[in-house]
Amino acid sequence: MKKQHRPSVINNADPGQTRARQHSRRKFLLKTGGILAASAFGAVPLRGWAADPVNIGALYPTTGSMAQIGVGCVAAAKLAVEMVNESGGIKSLGGAKLNLILSDVQSDTTVTRTETDRLISGNKLSAIHGCFASALTLIASEVAERAHVPLISGSSSDQLNKGRTYTFTPFARASQFARAQLQMAKLVSEHPKVAVIFENTAFGTSTSNGLRELAPGEGVEIVMFEPYSAGFTDASPLINKVKSSGANALFSVSYLNDLILIVRSVKQVGLNIAINGGSGGFVIPDFYKNVGKLAEGLQGVAHWNHDMDANSAKVNEEYKKRTGEFLFEYAGGLVAQTFMIADALERAASADPQKVRDALSSLDVSSGYAAMAPGGKVKFGPDGKNVYGRPVGVQWQNGDLASVFPKEDARAPLLKT
Amino acid sequence: MWETVAQAVINGLLIGGIYALVSIGVTLIFGVVKIVNFAQGEFVMIGMYISFFLANQYGIDPLLSLFVSMPVLFVAGVLIQHYLIRRVLGPNDMPQIFLTFALSLLLLNLALMLFTANYRTVHTSYSDEAFHVGGLYIPEAKLIAFVVAMLLSGALWLFLHTTDLGKAMRAAAQNRDVAMLMGINPNRVFCVALGIALALAGAAGSLLMPFYSAYPLVGQVFVLMAFVAVVLGTLGNVIGALIASLMMGIAESLGIQFVGADSGSIVVFAMLLLTLAFKPTGLGGGRAR
Repeated sequence: MKKQHRPSVINNADPGQTRARQHSRRKFLLKTGGILAASAFGAVPLRGWAADPVNIGALYPTTGSMAQIGVGCVAAAKLAVEMVNESGGIKSLGGAKLNLILSDVQSDTTVTRTETDRLISGNKLSAIHGCFASALTLIASEVAERAHVPLISGSSSDQLNKGRTYTFTPFARASQFARAQLQMAKLVSEHPKVAVIFENTAFGTSTSNGLRELAPGEGVEIVMFEPYSAGFTDASPLINKVKSSGANALFSVSYLNDLILIVRSVKQVGLNIAINGGSGGFVIPDFYKNVGKLAEGLQGVAHWNHDMDANSAKVNEEYKKRTGEFLFEYAGGLVAQTFMIADALERAASADPQKVRDALSSLDVSSGYAAMAPGGKVKFGPDGKNVYGRPVGVQWQNGDLASVFPKEDARAPLLKT
Repeated sequence: MWETVAQAVINGLLIGGIYALVSIGVTLIFGVVKIVNFAQGEFVMIGMYISFFLANQYGIDPLLSLFVSMPVLFVAGVLIQHYLIRRVLGPNDMPQIFLTFALSLLLLNLALMLFTANYRTVHTSYSDEAFHVGGLYIPEAKLIAFVVAMLLSGALWLFLHTTDLGKAMRAAAQNRDVAMLMGINPNRVFCVALGIALALAGAAGSLLMPFYSAYPLVGQVFVLMAFVAVVLGTLGNVIGALIASLMMGIAESLGIQFVGADSGSIVVFAMLLLTLAFKPTGLGGGRAR
């Protein structure tokens, strides 16, 4: 079943007619009951439950090719809103509860545009978060910009910070990921010789070119730089080539299926090489499920990890209880984002999107759930970028992702493979 | 240097065995029924999903699930011939092309709907292991797949050459009208041909599962190679398709090793173009066998 029809306090994206009627009846009972109770017990402040909820839009692909990640994001978004509401909601708005309005962008750019439009025009939103893939977020942020609704996102494309005044990105940018990856190669060897293999479309070529440009500055030698066509049947010839290049580290900019074949071939060749798979599909629980034990010791980069501080660990525990999987990068980041929105609402003392945007632009936190980010500090610059934003280097250890780089963010020693 | 070449040849030969199973099916259908089965790749995909679910739900080794995927797809082949293809056989090619193409699209989208686009893998004790022989390595799962593929091809050859039904199929492939005049029941022969071809696709799927991921589009990867092999090895020629598949595997692997990792298919298609230019009937000598 694609859609959940379970009535929920949080999910009321599409209130059908019956639901609306039920809702008002429930409200009616609540209010009349409340008044009766209030008159019976004397002075009970009416504001606590009378405050209008604050609508937060959440745009994630819960169907289509990115569905699995999107569903995880929605679970995290619900968890975050519950956490805010359970701790008393937005106090400056009389304890107003956050009301999450979900929308499925179907892993599709066209749908993202119409869904964002529909969400904004059909609801009174104070802020939006989304949409996982940069390609989708770029479109949603454009629509939000025109509608003057603030959008906060963990997507990494640097383009999100160009010419936008309503877009906020609290985590590391794509350009920072490449540098971190190169620096991690130096953990493996003092003279890293890196083989870069990448799938030959836009994703692979742009990422690998970024690596190649930064390599000399970081003192990393690239001994092999090879594009391949995604969806190959056999990785062995490619790994054969890596072997003859004499590299001691392998950067693979690949989609999941190719990466599985690559990792298996490396094992079969008996090649002893440190593999760094970058970010995205590499740092989600599904990767380990598919690759199994061979994933042990593989390195990657992420904008968020669940072992950063006590708060992240706590959220991770709760998320694990609900979904059975650890809280992955993007989902963890959006929990922090929800608390950033709550912080802004608190200071704005208004649900008006313009005022929330202004409050977000002056956000400055270094503690609490809103500060769950590598480095533990969030403050937005004029381009909407977190001035303290930086990526964290991670490694698969015992089926879990451990932070290993940089030193101040490391929570476990690097496992040498 | 020789080691690199030898390794590339081994890699190519092993993957060529899988191409062979797919292309033999395509060429068998073309030879006997005279239709091009565009949906052959999707049956490989179905074979993979059968093996995946058996392994995932009941812990059955993908190689053992061969005994499930092959019969299931054999029956599917017979039914498809009897209820679908039989109705469009005639002087006009177009309905046949539309039928198998539509079947391909239908199965692909059904799989997307039922199984989603996620990658599914199966782990076996031999998935990640390899035999090491004098500086060379031979992945276990691929070696098993290759050996079984060759055994199945051999069994098919024996069937075609020693049994009456097999001989009838070859007769139908060589000259359908004369075969009919000799009292061969065409629908029965066609049903068996479709059944065998789909069973081979199912076998390819099960053999792939220990080292390749299943996803709805997976058939497309292999079917393109299969079509090239079928043309290279002469349309309808089973031995030709087998040899052409192995050659293509090797050419692709050498191409990746010595030209570039995104040039494997360039080498394969260059080979196809040259063959078509100088020996348009294919390497099998233009005879359907």
